[in-house]
Amino acid sequence: MKQNKLRPYLYLTPSLIVIGLIVVFPILYTGYISFTNMNIYHWFNPRFIGFDNYAKAFFVFDSGFLSALLRTVLWTFLNMVLQMAVAYLIAVLLNTEGLRAHKVYKTILMFPWAMPGYVSILLWKMGMFNNEYGLLNQWLRKLGLNGVRWLDGNVSAFLSCTLVNLWLALPFMIMIIDGALQSIDKAYYESATLDGAGFFVKLRNITVPLVRPIIAPAVVITVFTTFKQFDIVYLLTQQQGSKTGADIHTVITYTYEKAFVTNNYGYSSAISMIIFLLLIFFSLYTNKELREGNR
Amino acid sequence: MNYRKKISLVFLNLFFILICLLCLIPILYALGVSLNSRNDLLSSSFSFIPKDFTFQNYRAVLFEKPFLLWLKNSLILSFSTVVIAIAVAVPGAYALSRKRFPGRKPILNLLILLNAFPSILSMFAVYRILKPMGLVNNFTGLVLIYIGTMAIFGLWNMKGYFDTIPLEIEEAGKIDGADDFRLIRDIVLPLARPSIIVTAVMILIYVWNEYIFAVTFITGSEKYTLAAGLYALQATDYTRNWPIFSAASLLVSIPVLIIFFCVQRYMTSGLTAGGVKG
Repeated sequence: MKQNKLRPYLYLTPSLIVIGLIVVFPILYTGYISFTNMNIYHWFNPRFIGFDNYAKAFFVFDSGFLSALLRTVLWTFLNMVLQMAVAYLIAVLLNTEGLRAHKVYKTILMFPWAMPGYVSILLWKMGMFNNEYGLLNQWLRKLGLNGVRWLDGNVSAFLSCTLVNLWLALPFMIMIIDGALQSIDKAYYESATLDGAGFFVKLRNITVPLVRPIIAPAVVITVFTTFKQFDIVYLLTQQQGSKTGADIHTVITYTYEKAFVTNNYGYSSAISMIIFLLLIFFSLYTNKELREGNR
Repeated sequence: MNYRKKISLVFLNLFFILICLLCLIPILYALGVSLNSRNDLLSSSFSFIPKDFTFQNYRAVLFEKPFLLWLKNSLILSFSTVVIAIAVAVPGAYALSRKRFPGRKPILNLLILLNAFPSILSMFAVYRILKPMGLVNNFTGLVLIYIGTMAIFGLWNMKGYFDTIPLEIEEAGKIDGADDFRLIRDIVLPLARPSIIVTAVMILIYVWNEYIFAVTFITGSEKYTLAAGLYALQATDYTRNWPIFSAASLLVSIPVLIIFFCVQRYMTSGLTAGGVKG
């Protein structure tokens, strides 16, 4: 009987060892480094400096952290709103009665998800946004307009990144909303139509309440992945050797730069911990339905 | 079907054809460029259908660059990661789903919180712990990193799906005297196939597409994966040779596309039951 009690732990041990090594240790170590001045000059003899790095992030205004944080919040919000609206529209239209080719359309729409992310982002960078031979500027020139330096200015680079993120993230959202829509019993709509309910009444009283609980976990997860999105901003504008001049750091690319470009490990660790705490608060706030264990 | 409905269906189909085209443009453009023999990108006369059709760019990628070597590395890395990760995570997920033991709830909640830490921010610390273990610049270290990064996703995703499998089936197996190993092998695995396939494919795709850990932890291009190699090259040679980069990009994507569309029918059920995504 005793062996039986130990067995679950035995099953979990391999997982917990790897997670301990690759996830838990780095977090603890990052927490420790965040209180030191470890950087390229103090590599072997880091000194304990208390909360200085944290103070620098919050109170030294031109440290860039607060603006990166604000930008990340704006980025997350803008992307989620656009994504939900467009994905919802497409999913609803896909479910139109009589649309025979909907499976074909759905499969094609999944392509951006299936493509390797970094490949797509680089294809966008070189194929679409490139100043000379990018497709967007070729089209503009054909219309007799001047080409735009898409990735150079802050605003246009931010919008370009948003477009790419939308392109990359829509398939997952469409799939989730489409799945949720298909789970709704058609009888609800039929009886509502009999009662004389219009499109928006049905949307508000049937579709949204029924779809929301099904898609909620996926939406929460997408908020996280959008907040933590690194590849798009990094590959489009910050890549080593081909920076475009736009400063649209999100907190993740900002931290990455502080760690691996300017080698300020103490400071970057402090920001990592701040991001970690923010995300923990957010997940405690939203993930109540995921924090189960009673089933 | 009445007349008005037919008209609106026509418009709807047009709308979707347009959306699908928009969605494929970057890919079609790359395809067009890669098959075009004349490097006439600077002229404004680009068309999606190449004027001088050629496979020269593909030949150049396959035989002039260490592409096949990187392919081999990618295959070794991704398959060993998937096999080990699944072997590690299935028993763990099974325990979390089926067993009740002290510490279960805290572990589940802790995993969610730990998952909030962006893995890219732990790169420096991971380097510090793997270096003294001699695991920098070799595949064992990378496999370990990839398993660790995807383990929480695997545990939660499969646990969520296991939860949806009725207990009664296993009870019957237990009465017949089957032990845990046989229960997992003969009952849970076959029933949980969608989630295990999707979890495995997600891990596979993650490893196949991961470049930043690979270029940081591996020095020397002979050990690069496809993602790392392509990433390293685009910053140098390929920028000047965009047709070859396009060809390489598409070659790298094809295996992932095939696998993805093979398992697409499992995607909804296999991903949503657990409520976490990698």
